[in-house]
Amino acid sequence: MSDCRCMNQTAVSIYRFVITVVSVCLIQVGATCYAESDEDFFEARIRPLLVKHCVACHGDKKQEGGLRLDSRDGWMRGGDRGAAVIVDSPGKSLLIQAVQYDDPDLQMPPAKKLAVNEIADLEAWVQRGATDPRREAATSSSVRMGVEEAHAFWSFQPLKTPIVPSEVGEHWSRNPIDSFVMEQMKEHGLTPVADADRRTLIRRATFDLTGLPPTKSEIDAFLRDESTGAFESLVERLLDSSAYGERWGRHWLDVARYADTAGDGADYPVREAYKYRNWVIQAFNRDLPFDQFVREQIAGDILARRDSIDDPERYASQVIATGFLAIGKRYGYKASPAFQYLDFADVIDSVGRSLQGLSLGCARCHDHKYDPISAADYYSLYGILQSTKWAFPGGEEQKRPAHFPPLVPPAQVSTLEEAKTAELALIDAKLAELQRRQNEFDPSWRAGGKDLDFEMQNPGERPGEPWVCSGPIEIASEAQSPFDHVHPKGGLGVRIGSGEPTDGLRYVFKEGLHATPGQSMHFTLDFRSVTSKEEGAFRFYLGRGVVQSLAIQCSATANEFAISDGGKWKVIRKITPGTWYTLRITIDPATKTFSGIVGTPGDRTEFSDMSVGPNWDGVADCFICDGFGHVTGAACSRDLDNLGLQTQPFPDPGSQSVSPKKASGDEETQLAALEKEIAAIGKRRQSKAAEPAYEVAYGVSEAEPVNARIQLRGEPHRTSDEVPRRFLEVLGGDPVQPDSAGSGRLELAEWITRPSNPLTARVFVNRVWQWHFGRGLVDTPSDFGSRGTPPSHPKLLDWLASEFIRSGWSIKSLHRLIMQSRTYQLASVDNDSNFAADPTNRWHWRYSRRALDAESIRDAMLAFSGRLDRNVPQSHPFPNVNTWGFTIHNPFHAVYESNHRSVYLMVQRNRRHSYLALFDAADPNQSVASRQPTTTPTQALFLMNSPFVHEQASGFADRIVAVAGDDRAKVLWAFETVQGRIPEDRIIEDAIAFVSEYREKIDGKKVIGEKGINPGDRAVWSAFARVLVTSNAFLFVD
Amino acid sequence: MNMFSTSRRQFLGRASGGFGAIALAGMCDELGATPANPLAARKGHHAAKADRVIFLYSTGGASHVDTFNHRPQLTTDHGKSITASRWLNKGGEFKRFLIKPRWAFQQYGQSGTWVSNLFPHLGSVIDDVCVLNAMHCESDGHDKATLAAHTGSAQFARPSAGSWVSYGLGTVNQNLPSFMVLAPAAPYAGAQTWGSDFLPACHQGTHVVPGKQPLPYVQPLVADGEMQQMELALLGRLNQSHLEQRAADHALDARIRSFETAFGMQREAPEAFDLAGETEETLKLYGLDRGATSGFGWQCLVARRLAERGVRFLELIDVGSSANWDSHGNMADHERLARAIDKPIAGLLTDLKQRGMLESTLVVWTTEFGRTPFNQKADHAGREHHSPCFSSWMAGGGVKGGIVYGESDEYGIQTAEDAVHTHDLHATMLHLLGIDHERLTYRHAGRDFRLTDVHGRVVHETIA
Repeated sequence: MSDCRCMNQTAVSIYRFVITVVSVCLIQVGATCYAESDEDFFEARIRPLLVKHCVACHGDKKQEGGLRLDSRDGWMRGGDRGAAVIVDSPGKSLLIQAVQYDDPDLQMPPAKKLAVNEIADLEAWVQRGATDPRREAATSSSVRMGVEEAHAFWSFQPLKTPIVPSEVGEHWSRNPIDSFVMEQMKEHGLTPVADADRRTLIRRATFDLTGLPPTKSEIDAFLRDESTGAFESLVERLLDSSAYGERWGRHWLDVARYADTAGDGADYPVREAYKYRNWVIQAFNRDLPFDQFVREQIAGDILARRDSIDDPERYASQVIATGFLAIGKRYGYKASPAFQYLDFADVIDSVGRSLQGLSLGCARCHDHKYDPISAADYYSLYGILQSTKWAFPGGEEQKRPAHFPPLVPPAQVSTLEEAKTAELALIDAKLAELQRRQNEFDPSWRAGGKDLDFEMQNPGERPGEPWVCSGPIEIASEAQSPFDHVHPKGGLGVRIGSGEPTDGLRYVFKEGLHATPGQSMHFTLDFRSVTSKEEGAFRFYLGRGVVQSLAIQCSATANEFAISDGGKWKVIRKITPGTWYTLRITIDPATKTFSGIVGTPGDRTEFSDMSVGPNWDGVADCFICDGFGHVTGAACSRDLDNLGLQTQPFPDPGSQSVSPKKASGDEETQLAALEKEIAAIGKRRQSKAAEPAYEVAYGVSEAEPVNARIQLRGEPHRTSDEVPRRFLEVLGGDPVQPDSAGSGRLELAEWITRPSNPLTARVFVNRVWQWHFGRGLVDTPSDFGSRGTPPSHPKLLDWLASEFIRSGWSIKSLHRLIMQSRTYQLASVDNDSNFAADPTNRWHWRYSRRALDAESIRDAMLAFSGRLDRNVPQSHPFPNVNTWGFTIHNPFHAVYESNHRSVYLMVQRNRRHSYLALFDAADPNQSVASRQPTTTPTQALFLMNSPFVHEQASGFADRIVAVAGDDRAKVLWAFETVQGRIPEDRIIEDAIAFVSEYREKIDGKKVIGEKGINPGDRAVWSAFARVLVTSNAFLFVD
Repeated sequence: MNMFSTSRRQFLGRASGGFGAIALAGMCDELGATPANPLAARKGHHAAKADRVIFLYSTGGASHVDTFNHRPQLTTDHGKSITASRWLNKGGEFKRFLIKPRWAFQQYGQSGTWVSNLFPHLGSVIDDVCVLNAMHCESDGHDKATLAAHTGSAQFARPSAGSWVSYGLGTVNQNLPSFMVLAPAAPYAGAQTWGSDFLPACHQGTHVVPGKQPLPYVQPLVADGEMQQMELALLGRLNQSHLEQRAADHALDARIRSFETAFGMQREAPEAFDLAGETEETLKLYGLDRGATSGFGWQCLVARRLAERGVRFLELIDVGSSANWDSHGNMADHERLARAIDKPIAGLLTDLKQRGMLESTLVVWTTEFGRTPFNQKADHAGREHHSPCFSSWMAGGGVKGGIVYGESDEYGIQTAEDAVHTHDLHATMLHLLGIDHERLTYRHAGRDFRLTDVHGRVVHETIA
């Protein structure tokens, strides 16, 4: 038994048991007769009890279940379940029920039941009116920002276009960004450092925009370009390169929590995930306006149906875009709404953080503690998601993907499905024809198979291949049928003795028949009963497999013959033991009926309009003769001969004899050619059948619109009021119109991208700033709420956001604006007084040096070795979907090596790619606002000792060797290629000395060589290459 | 090594800002972490009883009523029916039959603590152990319960307990990672169980797969040590010159230092994993054959060696997500699994004690949940998942030995007294390490996160 009970809900207390346990309710509440006053009673018995057992979890520090017991107001207001105390009614009071421990879901205090007298005291207190002098302190009101208050908070205020500060005196600024930055610098007593030199600029801009190092020739070209617009042209060239989208798409994929697996316990692979990844990359490359970028990711499927029916490419692309919603971590085991509340938690939180800079996820269990987001807000969005159909990636219980939206309009879906069926039918027909021709060459092949007349068998033995048998049975010359209208006159048949009902004979037709419109199936058999000693019947079965799907069954005793008409036995005629009969049946798959004759040439009985087995699936590939006939009891022994199953009709019993096949001369060559053709077409059929009729995406589509109910404390089984689908109250609260037939996603996309939304543009320009400078103007890029950090340059942020919208949400324009600023082009050098005043460079007095990220390090190393594959790969080589059986016990895991850019590596959610994890790439389990670079010895070990680094160094060494000139020339070329600059002479001399010393040591050793390159050279330059590609001048960008 | 000896340390004094400083914002400041080295060892909030943790994890859900929770009434009432209100995650009324433990229990040590015959060796050191018999959690599914046991969150990605400890206390030996996981295979939920999640990645667990090369990349590919030193020396000079022109950038400095440490690890880690110097007696204690490089005995002995070398948090996982303690089909599996870990664990406790390390090393054993004391038929050979009541234990590190804390009902179905939730276990672990679990926080996504979320009770009754 391997059933694992892996679904689970968060029910609290689970088991109760009743057996011979004597319940302990012997102590009568005698406490009511205390003479003390109610106040005294409370002070003496209740207050200490509450303090001791309850207030730690239900007081000012914690409010488990939303309940406070540290004031009268607290228990009157109650928690999630309602008021804790009903005055005068201990029985109805939840507090009393809880301490009595009767309800397994409500037992307090959780660690241990109260003493009997303590429970009695509490009951008495409630009975007496629950006197409680404690009043709620006025200051304990929530710190939460209200919706009204929010309108005064910086991030919720409408976007304004600030006036660009004018500069007095010096003309430092190149564009308005600089003016805003300079204004702040002056205010903080800072002076900007000098501009970066050209080598620094090209290296910075190239890694920044493409994630790749500039080549030596690119550096040379830039240094040679003396025009004033040299840097502008450089930026344009970089923005035009496909590497730009690969770099900046990756930034967005961090935010979008992209992975190639689902992240459920079994971590199912998602074959279509790459389409969304590639869509993001292309969206950046074609500068898709950001508002449209967002709209398509939230409602692309709806937009496609509305706008792109006639543009197949655009239609597909918009459906793929909804991968943004689907691509999050999944929790389900099958495509069932019961598991979706956690999936939705991920989606709501991710949408909130990535697009609005709001931690909406906090409102799942209760109103947000700090920000103006209510649980009603959360569940209004939840309703929109619940009205959406989600692609299901596969999971423990349902191991196949489902509901993946097609990349073609609905009308085309059925057309394409039909086209595929038709194409397959065409191939099948061709295949059948070829097989028929092939069979003609085989003398033992006749009437739909090999050896259907037993002539290949040995008399006196049990039937062997291709027959299968059990019980008393043998090949016998006495069992030869007298009829020869199907098979030529032979000398052998089979005699089946009486045995167990399961005993008998089976034949599997290699090329079984499949129901095809307009085509009948024909079946024939000769038989006789041999003795009349036994009273039971034997049966003929025809259908798919070993009674997997029954088409027809006939049955005979020694004296009568019967046919099953749709499951009901009908006796057709009398028969006589020892007399041979021939049976011929024609099945019409269209009407699911059959007709035929049974008898001897002079004594034929016809039957017609019989129904096939009610559950027959249209396949006939197996004949069985066993003992499960229409009369129970041991079946009589019988002879069989001359079986047939084919699509052409068989001749009438008693008609002309057929003659044996003859072999002809050039048979072998013809046969070989046929076999080759059959194999080729068979292969084509296989790949055609495996091809989907149309492409699909890992995305979403529309479902039945519904409103969600608020889930108390985020528990899906504890629901409260229904909330209409609408936008966040603080951002307008616009409702989905009640007559709208849609989920509300289209409206949501519009609400988020309307220019009046104060957050969308601000959040995104801040991200772009952060990706350029390593740090946002707002330090918390996914939290623009009250717990986030306010912007360092609020006016600049607003100006950028306004410009961004004004430019038509063009991301490339934003890059130009930022990169052409002097702020971006500052050197990364130090300055003592600036450093003292602003050590973290909050005010941009210099450009902050940045460490290369995981992808850039790997891609650059591959570029150095010359092995970087710049093609765009398609799907990952996941195992065939038909073999998927992943469970949490046997989860999917794979690492696919490739020399493509790192953005194309397969990102697995539950088992992270070891390199990407080691170098701090985004954890795909959640939306990542900014990576946290770390510097660890395990990274250094990778750089020192990993085969990857050694292989790239070796490839790079081969390129160094190929550089013309002496060691000095080679050293200089290598420095420039890896570090983008030539170091001071001292270091060059040091490097040259290293090379010659290393060479001396190598010469003393035996080095195994390969073709082409001198092994000693390769070893020396590999060593030097390793030093370069692990040096700080490579790993950091000034 | 002279190749690294430089004047660069002068920069450290200034290196309080710059890139990465933001990463340390959070309550770690309170504990005195410096951005220059987030792994620098530091003191907790209060005096610590334990300096390090060895966390033993049995994957799959070990049965409590067959191991540490002696329920004689379960044997007496074997075959009687009860009504369970939940079965395989579905509510309702289910008639189920009590099943007695398959193994007999006996009392061990001066404390007379009951332990089943599955753990005779552990029984022999039970006076150092505090058994927790009223553990409970909410999740009946493996992956969720495994995550809860490790991260405190059954649902969302959160940092592992080991990462929190590393973040809070750093580590004393910069030549080895602060948090190491010795596991032949990943448990349920995979690497998420030892992930640092939103904490800086230097706090993530380093997965060590038992075998001849347990730590990746620690073996130099440049066979000749002298030549590797030549390379590193040139690298050092290049980096030094680069740094001199740039001044006061702790990130550059940290990278230089990471190579020094890596070089140290290259030397020290293989030695830490090399058991050649261990005596026959010690190997015997762990039930380990000389030359073996896998098995739980190997994991335990290596753990002791790593603990000696200052690793802050060690986790040992006995089996992966298959062929584990998940005995739905037949409880007999427990025998094989217990035999694999019983002697090694007893050996570890004995060895630590002999070396005077047990006092400062908190050893914890747990599993994701227990197993049902009942099933659909009385003669059913297996048991199902059971989260409302199970057993764990703690030893050393300031824990009161020879006691049993927590009591279940007479069948082991529900906790009855002194229940300890997974959050409480985490709170207690942190407390013993000198950390206040409510004050070890990290600001992420708009709020301060804790290992114990908004829960957790330090179980003072178990502390010596």
